[in-house]
Amino acid sequence: MSDFVEQCRREWKRLGVSDPLADEMAADLASDLNEAEADGVSVEELLGRTAFDPASFAATWATERGVIPPPRSPQPRSFFRRPLTLGAVAVLVFVVLSFVALFGTVLITRAAPPTLAFRRATAPSLRLLPGAGQPLPGQPLVVHAHTSVNAVPLLLFFLVLGIIAIVITWLWTARTRSRAPSAPV
Amino acid sequence: MLDLCLLAVIDEEPAYGYEMTKRLRERGLAFVGEGSIYPLLGRLERDGLVDTRRAASNGGPPRKYYQPSGAGRLALALGVSEWRAARDAVDAVLAPVTVEVAT
Repeated sequence: MSDFVEQCRREWKRLGVSDPLADEMAADLASDLNEAEADGVSVEELLGRTAFDPASFAATWATERGVIPPPRSPQPRSFFRRPLTLGAVAVLVFVVLSFVALFGTVLITRAAPPTLAFRRATAPSLRLLPGAGQPLPGQPLVVHAHTSVNAVPLLLFFLVLGIIAIVITWLWTARTRSRAPSAPV
Repeated sequence: MLDLCLLAVIDEEPAYGYEMTKRLRERGLAFVGEGSIYPLLGRLERDGLVDTRRAASNGGPPRKYYQPSGAGRLALALGVSEWRAARDAVDAVLAPVTVEVAT
């Protein structure tokens, strides 16, 4: 009987059960087995089929008691849960957004209408073209607007957006990793 | 079902593992050994359905005594109620049955 208990103890050690807990379980089991033997009850009668498989018995007991995590079958990680893939996707998105911003800005600049018509000159930033003369009251003021949209702020915006996306992705990945189940004690 | 039986016998009086087995055997539940009570006791303890204390046994080493916690007694009451309802339903079907078998 002591051999059975020793094999259980070895299995608990292998599974990572703490020594005090393994000692407690082993002591309880040994006491029960000794008392059963004194009563003429065999290990098989007390433990049934598990009497022939101490490792399985020990693992089942420890698992049911919650001192080791239950065995988990390895599950394939989904595409978006791989950190390397996530990083690559984030960088790709950033690059694409940067190009979109750059070429979008160029297109906007080229497609802008060369002239704008105003009824009254209200905006102080309007600049009359040389030789246009003074506008007559009631007549539209025709000016040439220089639509020089500056691309730098837009690129900076998308740069910040990309960095934020990467940071959020990294934090999310780190959080997912830290959620690995731990064995209750 | 065995966990319900374990809760029932330790509700009468706290007991350690082998003592529970003996009480169940005395009432005709000799199949206990087939599944072993230890994993069941572990699960009951993990789920907070039993309270434990270590105390000296009669002339032997200190043993771990189990008794139902408040949640355990509630689970026992619900389980017994469900068992009785199921038993009555099965009885209603099987009680009128009379089968004559030619030998």
